[in-house]
Amino acid sequence: MKLREHEAMKIFGEHGIPVPKGFLIRSVGELGPLMGELGDRFVLKAQVEVGGRGKSGGILVANPSNGERLLEELFKKEIKGVGVREVLAVEYLEIQKEYYASIAIDRSTKQALILFTDQGGVDIEILAKENPDAVRKASLPLLMRDIPPFMLRDLLGSSHKEIGSILNQLFRVFCEKDALLAEINPLVATPHGIFAADAKLIIDDNALSRQGITLNRDLTEREREAEKHGFSYVELKGDIGVIGNGAGLTMATLDLIEYYDGKAANFLDVGGGADQERVMHAVKLVAADPSVKVIVVNLLGGITRCDEVARGIISAGVEQPVIVRLAGTNEAEGRQILDGSGYRMMESMEQAVKAAVEAVK
Amino acid sequence: MIYGDRSTGVIVTGATGKQGAFHIALMNEYARKVGGVGVVAGVTPGKAGQEVAGVPVYNSIRDALKKHDASASVLFVPGFAAGDSIMEAASAGLSLVVAITEHIPVHDTMRAISYARIHGCDVIGPNCPGLLSPGEIKMGIMPVHLSSRGHIGVISRSGTLTYEIVDQLTRAGLGQSTIVGIGGDPVIGQTFRDVLRRFEEDDQTKAVVILGEVGGSLEEEGARATDLPIAAYIAGISAPPEKRMGHAGAIIEGGEGDARSKIARLRDMGVPVASRPSEVPRLIREIL
Repeated sequence: MKLREHEAMKIFGEHGIPVPKGFLIRSVGELGPLMGELGDRFVLKAQVEVGGRGKSGGILVANPSNGERLLEELFKKEIKGVGVREVLAVEYLEIQKEYYASIAIDRSTKQALILFTDQGGVDIEILAKENPDAVRKASLPLLMRDIPPFMLRDLLGSSHKEIGSILNQLFRVFCEKDALLAEINPLVATPHGIFAADAKLIIDDNALSRQGITLNRDLTEREREAEKHGFSYVELKGDIGVIGNGAGLTMATLDLIEYYDGKAANFLDVGGGADQERVMHAVKLVAADPSVKVIVVNLLGGITRCDEVARGIISAGVEQPVIVRLAGTNEAEGRQILDGSGYRMMESMEQAVKAAVEAVK
Repeated sequence: MIYGDRSTGVIVTGATGKQGAFHIALMNEYARKVGGVGVVAGVTPGKAGQEVAGVPVYNSIRDALKKHDASASVLFVPGFAAGDSIMEAASAGLSLVVAITEHIPVHDTMRAISYARIHGCDVIGPNCPGLLSPGEIKMGIMPVHLSSRGHIGVISRSGTLTYEIVDQLTRAGLGQSTIVGIGGDPVIGQTFRDVLRRFEEDDQTKAVVILGEVGGSLEEEGARATDLPIAAYIAGISAPPEKRMGHAGAIIEGGEGDARSKIARLRDMGVPVASRPSEVPRLIREIL
């Protein structure tokens, strides 16, 4: 789950990373009393989860005389379709130089990947493609307590030495918070020292409970409902509902729909042990999406009981046609149950998908 | 066969849970059928003295090893404890851990894999169905009835998609040497490259199917490092960016790891990539 900037900024600050003085504001009236602390110039940053926030007018430089007017405008704005409900007001930083620093998960080395460049404030992915030498990288096993000095020398080159301790603090944040990504872009040099002018922190969804986070805000309401049943669910834009067991097989089913020029409405992986009740909930959940015109169920397993699955589909009793491919134990029995109730049972996933695409044409 | 054979003794950790008990029985049913050693002991802290599916349970792997010969463990412990369980197995001297568990915090996985490497222990998974060498050994949860013994290696990030492909290979008369589910998490122990290296040293394996999906670039890294004939299928061509498609590792991030560019890179290396799962047997025949 991605934390909001002000949440990440607070965590960075608590770990000794210098951050600008800032206040979270939810209404225009809250700004007045804070103006004395923010100084002659300050920055209003909309707390919205979209990329390119600055270019879309979500970051404004203000002063005590125009601050409230700009804030009012910001609260009325939509940044790339997202309404502004919270604004972070931070002191203005006199930027002399911009850096970029991040720590992420490296799948290839199975270690933490530290990235640093003295050409910050840009899109790091673009910089890495256009000028790969400008981005310095180092891999660090999570068994380490600190970034070793040689690695800091390699990363920083001739950049400010005090950034070394900031990188070490960032590594501590990364470890303590079960982060998938801890990023400062830009990290800035000012006449008063180095500051994190922005903060990004993504927490591992599998570690949310031990991080004390009870609600995953990244999920839509239907995705959260699905999570309660132990399903993986992703909303898509088409009209063919999809239920599969196992992420790979479900993805392959979506791909096959696309191959036959259909459009999937969702991805739903019921997970292991698909019994009558789980299948019923899954079918109901997918059918509740008004754009779904037909549902494909593609279940394959050694231990999946086809008769249970068949009863689950029937007990859901949804309006849309359900096309089924089932393989596992008690296959014949499952087939009999479905055939008797007017559902269509297919021999292969390919046949099932073709039939579904035909059905919506 | 790779990673193990009929003579490999297996310890199951998380033995007394529903999953553990159920799969000990299935693994030993298979071991009896092929004349193998199978699961010799179970481990659940605090449950020593119990018996699960005919197998004695111990408090620790060390305790189990005092009474039994084993070199591998298959673990079914819950996510929050699985990293610990991997390290326990490595520390006790086992050479292989097959981690079936899903939802392990990725930092735990990274620490456990680093620790296991120091002890010379290989980790398959986590979030995987384990492995099956038809006629030799099953370590994990793969259904055995779809497979048949032969010369095709299979490496996959997925579970049921693997069974789908194995079923199609078997129907096409293409038996399998070993089927390895390497796991759907972003960080996994044995990668495509590691398993391909094992297959290179395995006389039984003549060609390998790589079943990949969106996220990362482990498929390409594996394909680049091997001389074996390989064919691939990559799931997730229809996956939207920045969305996790069921597996923690199946996500297109920062414009990287999407299926189309993965497929293009594989084809550039001369690896045939199937557009549909049903094309895999034909592609394998062409490279044999």
